[in-house]
Amino acid sequence: MKRRQMIKLGLILAVYTIVGCVGLAFVYNSTSKTIAQRQEADLQAGLREVFPKATGFTPTDTVKSTNPNIVFDAAYTADGPSGSLGIAVKVHGPSYGGPTTLIVGVSTDGTITGVKVLENKDTPGLGANAESSTYYVDKATKTTFPGQFAGKKLTDGFVVKKDVIAITSATITSRSITNLVQVVGKAASEVLGIGGSSPSPSSQGPSAVLPSADTVRTSSKAATSSVPGVSILETSVGTKAGTIVGASAKAKAKSYDGEVTVLVGVSTDGTILGVQILECTDSQGSPILAPEFAQQFAGKKAGAPLEVGTNIDAVSGATFSSRGATALVKATADALVKALAGGGL
Amino acid sequence: MKRLFGVFVNGLIVENPLFVIMIGLCSSMAVTTTVANGIGMGVALTFVLVMSELIISLFRNLIPESIRMPIFLIVIAAFTTIMDLEMKAYFPVLSKSMGVFIPLVVVNCIIMGRVEAFSSKQPVADSVVDGLGMGLGYTWVLIALAVVRELLGNGTLLGRQIMPSSFAPMIFLILPPGGFLVFALWMAASNDLRRKLLAGKKPEPTQDNCCTLRENGSAEKA
Repeated sequence: MKRRQMIKLGLILAVYTIVGCVGLAFVYNSTSKTIAQRQEADLQAGLREVFPKATGFTPTDTVKSTNPNIVFDAAYTADGPSGSLGIAVKVHGPSYGGPTTLIVGVSTDGTITGVKVLENKDTPGLGANAESSTYYVDKATKTTFPGQFAGKKLTDGFVVKKDVIAITSATITSRSITNLVQVVGKAASEVLGIGGSSPSPSSQGPSAVLPSADTVRTSSKAATSSVPGVSILETSVGTKAGTIVGASAKAKAKSYDGEVTVLVGVSTDGTILGVQILECTDSQGSPILAPEFAQQFAGKKAGAPLEVGTNIDAVSGATFSSRGATALVKATADALVKALAGGGL
Repeated sequence: MKRLFGVFVNGLIVENPLFVIMIGLCSSMAVTTTVANGIGMGVALTFVLVMSELIISLFRNLIPESIRMPIFLIVIAAFTTIMDLEMKAYFPVLSKSMGVFIPLVVVNCIIMGRVEAFSSKQPVADSVVDGLGMGLGYTWVLIALAVVRELLGNGTLLGRQIMPSSFAPMIFLILPPGGFLVFALWMAASNDLRRKLLAGKKPEPTQDNCCTLRENGSAEKA
């Protein structure tokens, strides 16, 4: 009796399910074409937006993402009246509220032709402003957030709040979109054969912070810092065609509750050429190892004050470590300037 | 006719799903950052609610008591998917901005609650009218929340700049805590009105076997 009842209920449920499925199948059939057409139209419109002068787009599979989290959905070469204009990539990667999908166009002359946001799931009113056509990061010129990338050189830093204007209260969205654009730019520039992509920050050693030197050797005289607590571990000198163009030093100091080790390169005119944060043993300090933090120092004058909050942005969640590292970079740079001025390296 | 009108008005204030029954709150907090989203979500939910109540009321004698929940879910999920597909095909902009909330209509407690408490026991006409009333009750609250949050939190209404450019948007109101605050203020106003409406009358007649309401205004969850 109980078994018969169960079978009966199962059958009734099955009937409802089948009717529901059939109904859905009909609706799906009648809408799927329209939906596919719309998505294709969206894509074509996006491609046209980044390459308005192109006569057509040919799919290509030569462009490869270098970041496992960032996926290139499709890549096209933009065909112009006389040869290729560049590459457009449909790309998606993680953002604040889920994946963000963009179309990024890279021109053969090494600039971004345009960025179009296809999909963004970030907070409405904040991160979603990335998609809005009426949200301007520069009200005077009516530049939208993705609009500011048009014409941007691939050799630029792509650092939010430095050479990229952030969306108010949506720094994470701004960063993730900027990062997507940069990854596409790098990948496309390799395919297009443009050498101009920004120097890879991942390489280690003194030559990475002395980009202008062709030879780097260990210094014959170590730089010393007058700031208590700062110990300079290694000093190197960079030369170009035999002339000293700069010096670098690896230095260590106490930070919040651990120690931080940095590598600083300074040119002979006292400009910081490059900084790498090599190690940070602070309990919450690991975020400052991100290259975006170290990149902020490049181009700053060693003599000028370096301060978190004024001309250096702290890494959120690691303010004390950011301060510690900044103070150490400043002390090391000063020591290098003194050593360079003293001569005998 | 008068009875149907009573059922309809019921969902607007007296048994408002958000302010009185207090179900389906998560989506109301999440989508009300802009008025356009609020309207879209309200219309979407009203459509699914009316259709689900209609179908379930039609088949209410053919749904065995012991498996009613899975059957309700099948009906609700089918209509939600239909609406999701139709919106993607014909209202792509709205569909994009609603994002994840549309599939979540399936598990919106308002639909499950009304289907279980009302349309599985009531005639078709009453059920459809109840769906409309509850849907509109939900929609007006979403719009009311969104107007305050979008205007003060972003300086715009329906995407158009309203506030002068010197106005600094109160971003707090766009974020979840601001949502709770605005919700609470509107709820206080709405429930004050409700108390005045009910003041002359006897305590809620339980003619529709719906959620049993206590005199003091709080409600059992459906």
